[in-house]
Amino acid sequence: MKPAAQDPLAQLTEIRAIMERSSRFLSLSGLSGVGAGVVALAGTVVAHYYLLQEYGSQEYGAQGYTRLFQTTEAERLAALPFLMGLALAMIAAALLVAAIFTLRRTRRDGLRSMWTAPARRLAIALLIPLVAGGLFCLKLYLSNAVELVVPGLLVFYGLALLNGSKYTLDEIKYLGLTQIALGLLALLVPGYGLLLFGLGFGLGHIGYGLLMYNRYERPTGTKLTAS
Amino acid sequence: MKYAIHTLNKAFDHRVRLGVMAVLLANESVSFNDLKESLDLTDGNLASHVAALEKAGYVEVTKQFIGKKPNTTYAASAEGKLAFQEHLAALEKLLRG
Repeated sequence: MKPAAQDPLAQLTEIRAIMERSSRFLSLSGLSGVGAGVVALAGTVVAHYYLLQEYGSQEYGAQGYTRLFQTTEAERLAALPFLMGLALAMIAAALLVAAIFTLRRTRRDGLRSMWTAPARRLAIALLIPLVAGGLFCLKLYLSNAVELVVPGLLVFYGLALLNGSKYTLDEIKYLGLTQIALGLLALLVPGYGLLLFGLGFGLGHIGYGLLMYNRYERPTGTKLTAS
Repeated sequence: MKYAIHTLNKAFDHRVRLGVMAVLLANESVSFNDLKESLDLTDGNLASHVAALEKAGYVEVTKQFIGKKPNTTYAASAEGKLAFQEHLAALEKLLRG
């Protein structure tokens, strides 16, 4: 028999695992996605009722969100603090929930820190398109192109995920492509923007989060007996 | 059955060295601390094995200062990448018997 240290299969398996672990952030928890999705759905509902209350009872009809497309600059500026505050609160809450679940998984995996080199690379890869997209959409809102804001948010977020996916789990790539597709769809049917926003940021995160949770984290009774 | 053990590279006959090369092939440039963290090693242990790989010409070392803190980064040399890939190919060959 070969001595254990020379076992080529064990060596190859270990090398593969090390290469994966050192270049990708694999501790991302699926429950982080579910949490962020719930936050996004709650935020969408709040936005919907805010817009209904602001614009619903006027002569334009009960159309809350679509009424926003016809607002004057003064009206949009009046609504901006609430909408910006809501968006920032959603981002903060989603990040907090995501960090809690991912930190929990990191602990369970026996890693000392969540903030590893791949995690930092992932954060940078996500942040650049996200910040650019956020500023771009803010300008769209201020420049009388409100109907492009939701498609823009979805497309930029999708691109950010696509960009970050090379440093983390493969599912993130498909989540990104889903967001891009929904963003482009929102361009075609601007009236359904808020609905598609909820679909992408809410149900998209929840769906992929559950998928990832089931694949990588669900406690299983039977242990794999590999080598 | 005879195993072609001699086709395996001597420089990689320790798992720490294999680990270092694996990290350096998956990432372009890695700092000492990140390397230590991803392999879960102590300073001294990692340093001696990296030194051996450096001596073999498989690892390139860049020493810099960030402010007053020294920051050493490592990268696999072209020679190191080739040698590691040959080592992996030899392992696979052994597997196929």
